[in-house]
Formats: sequence, structure tokens, C-alpha cells
Amino acid sequence: MTSLNTGKENGVKETVKRFILSSINIAHLGDDDNLFESGIVNSLFTVQLMTFIEKTFAIEVGMDDLDIENFKSLNAATAFVVRKNGRGG
Amino acid sequence: MQHLLTDEQRAKHTEFKNFVSLNVEPFANEWDREERIPDPVISMLAKSGCLGCSLPKKYGGQGWDVVTFGLLNEALGRGSSSLTGVLTVQTMVSMALLKWGTEAQKERWLPPLAKGEMIGAFALTEPGAGSAIQSLATEFTHSSRSDSLILNGNKKWISCAQLAGVFLVFGKLEQSSVACLVPRGTPGLEIEPIHDLMGFRSGGLAQLTFNDVEVPSANIVGKPGFALSHVAPVGLQYGRISTACSGLGLLRGCFEESVAYAAVRKIAEKTVGEIGMIRSLIARMGSDLEAGSFLCHNACRSEQDHVPEAFEKTLTAKYFTSRAAVRAASDAVQIRGASGCHESSPVSRYYRDSKIMEIIEGTTQIHEELLGKIYVGQAGKSRKQSDPVNCL
Repeated sequence: MTSLNTGKENGVKETVKRFILSSINIAHLGDDDNLFESGIVNSLFTVQLMTFIEKTFAIEVGMDDLDIENFKSLNAATAFVVRKNGRGG
Repeated sequence: MQHLLTDEQRAKHTEFKNFVSLNVEPFANEWDREERIPDPVISMLAKSGCLGCSLPKKYGGQGWDVVTFGLLNEALGRGSSSLTGVLTVQTMVSMALLKWGTEAQKERWLPPLAKGEMIGAFALTEPGAGSAIQSLATEFTHSSRSDSLILNGNKKWISCAQLAGVFLVFGKLEQSSVACLVPRGTPGLEIEPIHDLMGFRSGGLAQLTFNDVEVPSANIVGKPGFALSHVAPVGLQYGRISTACSGLGLLRGCFEESVAYAAVRKIAEKTVGEIGMIRSLIARMGSDLEAGSFLCHNACRSEQDHVPEAFEKTLTAKYFTSRAAVRAASDAVQIRGASGCHESSPVSRYYRDSKIMEIIEGTTQIHEELLGKIYVGQAGKSRKQSDPVNCL
């Protein structure tokens, strides 16, 4: 079960990472790099990332999910997607 | 562009255009003079389902796709920019609420908005904060007496505020941005109509003053801290789509009025349309119309497909059609000569309305700043990807 979850997480992480790297002008992104504190993204990107996650993983980001902790890093976004998918979107 | 539409979308567009040519175009100049759209016209639009066209059927809306929404705006824009403005702000408020509202908020507010029984207004702009929305001075504070907020401040240039039943008001709460629904009639809320505008004269613009207005905390849409980063962008995205398509409709109006005039108006033995310099003006108008149609369709499709590029595509469409509308309106007046300078001709109204298109939902300069940044950023990424040495 653990390996299944880990495999799923890795897939989500790679997908999100590809999107971030293709969207913003950086060459490297660490798993826990804080996207907002480092100033590498703007508010436009925040909405684009949310849209990408909704579209790609068929989940809806709602009012209760409005928490910067959910999107602050690659690991945070991955955990958010896995958590949302786990409870059916 | 017609070939990109489904049969249903094409049929709807024809229906919208027929509605506008019968119920809007003949009266739009009169509404403009009187600075008011008659209530029965708004009711007619409401009864047709247009004011809730983007909302799901679950809440009483029509559930139309974004392309159909764009076609409706284009058709209405041909007739009256001011009337299109009602649809613009109604959709901005409705879609922001649909995305970020609580279920209780949606159940209370969306059905009357969907049916057009209530008009919504998007109260973002302030006397000192237009393009710079981070500078909002409208202030919410926690009430000491109950679970409510106290609102103080001013909003200006708020479209449809004269007829709105509810306002989505943006401000600050303890330095965090916040969006909150404020019903008309709440004690302390004053609504002062703005007259003598250059364009959008019947758009019902007003200034709002909030003097210790008390609203329940349950009226907050989204969460404090996310109003400008998440709530406003949803509304503004639909506002830009609406304005881009409305500008396209205005552009079509300029084109159709110009070619019709050029075909029959004679100067000596020639029609105006036989003069090369006039043909140049019409050629530019026609090609802008074609290009704008594709850009608007692309923006609507991107939003419909819910892809991250939708924001950029919409900026591009709004930037293009608003500027093209200004050029076309100026040329349409030029082609008609003196008769184009009189209020009896729709092109004189197009001339005044088109300029507003370059200002609302983000000025041309804001669009240039954003699009320039996006395009340069994309070029930088392409360069890095193709040149590994520069990645080091």
C-alpha cells in the first residue's frame, strides 16, 4: 500500500513539477522550496497552478482549500492533490 | 470563424443577433441620451435566461458554455455596450460566488442572480485605486457586538450600481484582502449615480459610500487574504471575456455600418466605397474583425477547457478587440463624415463607448505590462531549455 501511495505521489509530483518549471523562469525547483517566500511566482501563477491542478487531477479547489499551505511548495501541492483525490475530489 | 462553432452555438448566435436587432439596436441611442436602460429591457434579458447563462442549472442558470457566453456578449455589444455591461458584472459576481462562495451563500444568492431577479455589482475600484488594486482603502473591521463586520470606505465607477441588489465589495480586513456581499438597502450604504460619462452612459455607474455598514461575517466570500489573489481574478476573467467579446460586437457594428454606408453614399459619380482611401479603412476594420473573432473564440475555448493559458488568451483577446474597436469607431465616424458626428448615428455612440473598452477590466497599459512580461518570460524559458549552458 505504501509503495502504491509513494508511486502515486511521485507521479503527481513530477507532473506538478513539470508544470511549474514550464511556467516560471527558473531552472531548478527543490521539493520544499517555498514558491511564495522566494518571490519566484506572482499571484497570476497562483491561479494558474490551481487551474492546472483542477484540470489535470480532476479535483475542485474550493473555499475550504484556500490555504497557502496547500500550494506553497512542490511537496505541499503534491500532498494536497493526493489528499483530495483520496477523498474523491 | 463560424466553422469553429457547433450547430447549437451557431443557432444561439443567430437568436442573440435577432434579439439585439429587434430589441436593442433601435433604442440604444435613446437609452444613451437618457443615461438609463428601461427596466422592461433588463426584465426581457432576465426572462430569456441571459443574465444567468453561465450558472449551472442547479442554481437556476442556463449552464451555457463559455463560447456561447462570448457569442451573447458579441451580439449584445453590437447593439449597446451599456446593456452588455449588465451581463458583464452579473457574470463577474455570479462566477466569483459560484467558485468561492459557501453552499449557504450560493443557495441564497445564486438563484435570484441566475433568474435576473437581482442584479449584482462588482465593487472593486476606488477613487484612489483603479489599476493598483493592492491599494484598496475600503476597510472592514470586526464588530465588537456580534459576529459581523463594519465596513467603511468609498467605491467609484461601479457599473450597474444604480440597479444592483447586491454588491461584491473588496477591501481590507486587518491588512488582509477580503471580499464580502453587501445587500442594497443595508443601513449606511449610499449610492450616488454618476452622470455625464463620455461612454457607457446608460451603464448605471455609481459611487458607493459605506458609513459604518454592518454586514454578517457569513457574507465573506472566500477567506480573508485571498480576495485579490483568488476571488477577484475569477470575476475579472469573466469580465475580460465579456469585454473582449463586447468590443468585438462593437467592431462588427462599425464594420457593418461603414460598408452599408460606403455602398450607397455617393460623392460626385462614385460611391464612397469606390474610393481607395475609404477601402483601406474598411479593409483594416474587416481584418481586425476576423482576427478578433478568432482571438475571442480562443479565449472562450481556453476558459471552457479550464486550462492555465486561459488568462493569457483572454488578456490577448481583450487587448486586441478593445484597441481595434477604438480604431474602427474612429474610422467609422470618418467614413460617415458629418452624419457620423451626430447622436442619430450609432457610430457616434460607438466612438464614445469604444474608448471605455480600453479602460475597464484592466487598461490597455496594464494588459501590455502583463502580456509583455508573459511573452518575455516564455522566451527566457525557451532559451534556457535549448541552451543548457545558460541553465548553469
